[in-house]
Amino acid sequence: MAAYDPRVNTGTTTPQNLPPPPPPPPESTLSEMTSTTEAVDTATAVATGDNPDTPADSWKLKFCTVCASNNNRSMEAHLRLSTAPTAFPVISFGTGSLVRLPGPSITQPNVYSFNTTSYNQMYEELEEKDPRLYRNNGILNMLDRNRNLKWGPERFQDWVPGLPRLDHISKGDKGALGTEGGVVDVIITCEERCWDAVVDDLMNKGNTLNRPVHVFNVDIKDNHEEALVGGNAILDLANRLNESAMKQRKVHGAAGWENGSGAARLSFDESVPEILAEWQEKHPNLPALWTLAWL
Amino acid sequence: MAQSTDHVVDQVAQLNAARSLVLGDAALYPQIVNGILPIVGANARLELRRWGADFLAETFASPMLATVQKQELAPTVLQSIQETLALPETDTAVLSSLVQTSASLYPLIFRHIVNHPEDSKTWETMNAVKQEILRKMDSFPCPAKICSVKFLQRVVQVQTPGLIADPRRPDQNETSLAVVPRNHALLAIPLLEAEASGLLDRLLGVFQEETSDPLVVNATLNCLAPLIRTRQSIANKIIQTILDFFPAKHVRPPFTPTVRVGVKSMERTARALLFNVMKKYNKSPATIRGLDQRLTNPFRNPSNPLMGKMQAYIERLMQSRLEVTEDASRKRGLPVEPTDGLDNAKRARLDAMTPPLLKIPPLPPGPTSYDQLFTLTQDIGLSSFDVKQLPPDLVVKIAVPLLAQVNPSMLTQAVDAIRNRYETITKEQNLKRQQLYQAATAAAADEDDDYEPDYEPLDVGADASEEAIALAAEDAELEPDLVSLGPFVLPQPPPLTEEEAGDVGRSAVSRVFGMIDAVETTPSPAQSKTQQQLSFARLAGSTFDRDAWVILLTRLATRAPAGLEGGDKSKGELATGKRQPTISDSIRETLYRYILEDFRARLKIGITWLNEEWYNDRVRMKAANSDRGDEDEEPTVALFYDTWVLRLLDGFLPYLDSRDIKVLVRFLSEIPEVTIAITQRVASLAKDPERVNLTVQALMYLIMFRPPAREMCLNTLEDVYQTYEESRPAAGKVLARWRPQALPAPTETAPAAPQAEVQAPPTAST
Repeated sequence: MAAYDPRVNTGTTTPQNLPPPPPPPPESTLSEMTSTTEAVDTATAVATGDNPDTPADSWKLKFCTVCASNNNRSMEAHLRLSTAPTAFPVISFGTGSLVRLPGPSITQPNVYSFNTTSYNQMYEELEEKDPRLYRNNGILNMLDRNRNLKWGPERFQDWVPGLPRLDHISKGDKGALGTEGGVVDVIITCEERCWDAVVDDLMNKGNTLNRPVHVFNVDIKDNHEEALVGGNAILDLANRLNESAMKQRKVHGAAGWENGSGAARLSFDESVPEILAEWQEKHPNLPALWTLAWL
Repeated sequence: MAQSTDHVVDQVAQLNAARSLVLGDAALYPQIVNGILPIVGANARLELRRWGADFLAETFASPMLATVQKQELAPTVLQSIQETLALPETDTAVLSSLVQTSASLYPLIFRHIVNHPEDSKTWETMNAVKQEILRKMDSFPCPAKICSVKFLQRVVQVQTPGLIADPRRPDQNETSLAVVPRNHALLAIPLLEAEASGLLDRLLGVFQEETSDPLVVNATLNCLAPLIRTRQSIANKIIQTILDFFPAKHVRPPFTPTVRVGVKSMERTARALLFNVMKKYNKSPATIRGLDQRLTNPFRNPSNPLMGKMQAYIERLMQSRLEVTEDASRKRGLPVEPTDGLDNAKRARLDAMTPPLLKIPPLPPGPTSYDQLFTLTQDIGLSSFDVKQLPPDLVVKIAVPLLAQVNPSMLTQAVDAIRNRYETITKEQNLKRQQLYQAATAAAADEDDDYEPDYEPLDVGADASEEAIALAAEDAELEPDLVSLGPFVLPQPPPLTEEEAGDVGRSAVSRVFGMIDAVETTPSPAQSKTQQQLSFARLAGSTFDRDAWVILLTRLATRAPAGLEGGDKSKGELATGKRQPTISDSIRETLYRYILEDFRARLKIGITWLNEEWYNDRVRMKAANSDRGDEDEEPTVALFYDTWVLRLLDGFLPYLDSRDIKVLVRFLSEIPEVTIAITQRVASLAKDPERVNLTVQALMYLIMFRPPAREMCLNTLEDVYQTYEESRPAAGKVLARWRPQALPAPTETAPAAPQAEVQAPPTAST
């Protein structure tokens, strides 16, 4: 399969059985309330693990990728974002009513329900049905990639922003670290109708968190090759956005504000249209769209 | 410094650990929030302030933490926020998070104050925070400004009356002005509502700025949906403002890629919002409408004028988007918005408020035609255009979108205009008619009303009283003569002679035969299949195909005149002798000829017909038997079956070919009764050496499968065997099987012909 990335092939096939990343030994005796829970250790490790000297660097934009079935395009992007050198916190969703995968003919898709079916289940079922067909059309490879990334497809409309996602960390979902609060800064959809669905659904959800979120669309055709190209482009966009956001965090106080010049003076939010315009010039074949919505 | 950095790192790690705890168990929030407030307060280091502000924003947004607990925490946290804001806080991230937190806190504090009117201190703090944000928001860095937009929206939402879902349980209701008691010590409803109204204008002001900031516009558009949905009193105003907003007009050239991104995003977001609003109102069930007016949003009514406007706005957006973003390079820049106060947005709104008046031309003098009555346009070209020239599908294509865009007020005006015209005309005509009538009765000279001969009611004579006239006038009022011609009575037709009636009957019959011919080719295999499946269950003539017509005809021939002709005969016995050819006879004759025209294909009709005849004969015999009573007269019943079965057989026998065995066997097996006469006719075929086998096989079939006729057929076969040499090889085999005694001494065993038997018809017909 074209979209297959050897980097994720960790040799295991059942991610839901993966143990959480081994917690390093507790570094210090914290306050009395933190000494008991295992999750605390994990979180501590996350916050301090990489480079304790520059804590500001551990801050990153949190991403969410969305396509129709949370299988091909959003998962390719999920893979790219979570395995990039910067390793972004990322979650992913589908906006369709059901997970639809190609079947033996166009009228016989394989249909699964969101949130309750794991990629592993789908993989095993399709391998049982017709291993040749599903290997040749790339579905098995795709599902294999997906089951190494997270447990199963999730539906955007069922997502409750702000609901803690600690369980995803314990399940070993890639990119789950940093998304335990259940919120994101940037949503990237892979198709216009998904963008429409996401913007519409956020309005329906009532904007109760009062938290701004940038919603992008990067139009990607639903096939493995395009997903690969799109995944690259999305990573490019994410890097540009993150760079701008990091800059803003470094510039603080009135003094810092005054010292910058030009684009550097723009806050992250302000720079978004500019970043997208620049990005679009580099990727003219992936029509983009953006808005600022609310979680 | 390194020491202190390490210390901060440790602290942040501890704080993160604490956060993980509450994410896992929301019950720990109060403990931890109170624990961290001193650490991350106004004077803490930037990292800690950032962390604290983020955490507070997350806490009060969390769906896991119950509203009651949030309410309890709110006053303490509010104090801390006020202190941080008053520093003043300069870090963008902290500021944004604090404004976010304030937006979440506002409804909580408001609800707290509703329940605790004595806590004026908290309300003062909240007001201070609110004023601080509102005062500074325009000078805030962009991210904080965006969050302030949301804060503004929250304040408007809280300070505008909302829905009361259940007045008996105030706790369950959404926080809004509607839950504030009238006599509240701190919250004065009119003041709060006025403030909200001002803030709403400020919120919507972004749509009227000369140059729009896409960030703020999008942020505003995306948070308006809950306001439109839950705040009926301001929904119209918000939608109207959006309808007057055209992103392409609010940007200044040059159209850099960045500007284009901004315009496109504003257009798409506006479109998304309107779609969201329209979908909500379309989806909501109409049944709610009658239940509770307060629950009913005005937009739920699909005929709401705003719905059409929203649709039109979306279409216009799509168009302008094409122009600006795609063709911008090829086009001149749009003129800059006029700054003389005659803002387009405002003008457009005024236009929209007063729908255009329809100009109704007066009717031309003299009598009015329907055409004139319904013509409102004064365009001669338009009114003389013949729509019938257009093909219907084109008319549909034009009419449907037109109807969808008809302005309701214009339509109402037009309908009213036509109604007025109609009423005027009706009144005038009634008046005129009454005058004429009175003149006529006064003159009393002649009753012929030359002026309006059609109208004159028949029952009003020359001596009609005043009452009758009044009644007539009333009638006229009800039925204006534009649409009525008065009662019309067809003259009684002259009585038909019997011959004429017969002719008419025959012509009717010939038309029915025409029907048979017309549908002859149509029955498809599938149809005939279903018919066969219906078999006993079907009703005769219920399918309107050829079979149905055939059955109709055969019944017409056999049953319809049965009683009538029978009646004739019972009265006069002469009738049998000089009986006129009746309709039924002519039908029979026609049927006979019709079948013979193509007897192979129409044999089925013949069989159906003969079955009907046979059945009819039985019924009449039975009726005659029961009618006979005491009289000694022999019942005389003309039996049609015997006559017609022989005629039909004689008709087609000469044409039978040696290969027509199936036709013959079918006929013989399906007719209801086989008589000696019939078997003799069949035997006569043996005269022709070529058709000997036809005879033998037909008889053999009857012998094998028609036991009642077996004896009769065997006798005939024996005859044939003896008479025709050619038949011996075949007939001999059959006789050997069924009547071996006939073979050794064939000449001696010819018995006398037995009587005709009565057999049950093999096919049922209902």
